[in-house]
Amino acid sequence: MNADRFRVLVSGVLIVGVVVSATLVAFGLATALLVGWGGSLSGAAPDGTAVTAFAGMGANLAALRPVGFAQLGLVALLATPVARVAASVAAFLLEGDHLYTAITAVVLLILLASLFLLR
Amino acid sequence: MTLGADIGIFAISLLAGVVGALAGVGGGILVVPALTMLFGVDIRLAIGASIVSVIATSSGAAAAYVRDGMTDMRVGMFLELATTTGAVSGALLAAAVAPAALYVLLGLVLLFSAAQQAFRLGEELPPVAGASPLAARMRLVGSYPDARLGRDVPYAAQRVPLGFVMMLGAGVVSGLLGIGSGALKVLAMDGAMRLPMKVSSATSNFMIGVTAAASAGIYLGRGDVDPTLAAPVALGVLAGAMAGARILPRLSNRSVRLVFLPVLLAVGAQTLLRGLGVGV
Repeated sequence: MNADRFRVLVSGVLIVGVVVSATLVAFGLATALLVGWGGSLSGAAPDGTAVTAFAGMGANLAALRPVGFAQLGLVALLATPVARVAASVAAFLLEGDHLYTAITAVVLLILLASLFLLR
Repeated sequence: MTLGADIGIFAISLLAGVVGALAGVGGGILVVPALTMLFGVDIRLAIGASIVSVIATSSGAAAAYVRDGMTDMRVGMFLELATTTGAVSGALLAAAVAPAALYVLLGLVLLFSAAQQAFRLGEELPPVAGASPLAARMRLVGSYPDARLGRDVPYAAQRVPLGFVMMLGAGVVSGLLGIGSGALKVLAMDGAMRLPMKVSSATSNFMIGVTAAASAGIYLGRGDVDPTLAAPVALGVLAGAMAGARILPRLSNRSVRLVFLPVLLAVGAQTLLRGLGVGV
């Protein structure tokens, strides 16, 4: 893999992450102006869950609540750096750079461990 | 938040994104005081929004920096070993240490570094030097296209162990205090490793998202991320960072230093104040 394709792959992952998260967040913000953050586009009953409780994201999405779209967009945003590191592992591997494949894989492991172990 | 407040937060976040993309920092320096002082937001939620701001600056700016060859991805990945390890250690230590003294210490370190930076304000490119054996083995050498100078500028990392240790510190600080880690990264690459300023800023931008992501799960789980605040912050910062990333390649390294120095002073002062119990 040449250096140009390497850069296109890594920056492509970042662009996709940014576009997906910005679209979801913007949709959440726009619909919140219409029905309120905890309101529902499908007319579902409001619930008393705090907007900061990301555990309620699935239920919020199912009820088409603006807060649910914003939550999903923010999760996509927070996941983008992780996806970027994963893409870098693949890119270094395709380039045949074993040293940096190993370094990047260790960074990915630390990152995943921190996300799932540190609560 | 009302529509007016959303627009205000979006506008400030837009500015934070531009400045963050140019200076290689996350924009919390503007977002946190604006949310607490102008919009009366609780400091805890303001810091949660600033984590979102850091990741938005990083991804928004790095998409362009990586494509344009401004980011040194090997330097970034090598140093991310240090920052992610540091960030996890910092988060684990958080319960055991008193943060007030650390805020004061970090604030003083940043202000002292600002004095050093002031002496380098006129420097366009670091002195040309060969790669150390370690830098050569780790391939921490490269070149970046300088649109301003109209040529590719080669560089080789100096004092790699010092840079690595500073990055470990930047990671610990990020996990422990959640502030100042972008500024420390730029200082490690520019001051210690003597990479060109634009490469230091672009590579710091590339890295800060990963360091922040390492502790983002904690903030999310604690309920510190309020989507009603974070939504206008994320949109404003993303737009600002993408704009800033288009500006940086055309600036001289000296101009980037002129943006970085006041940011460094402000982050230092903000950190010191937080240590003294003033939440800004």
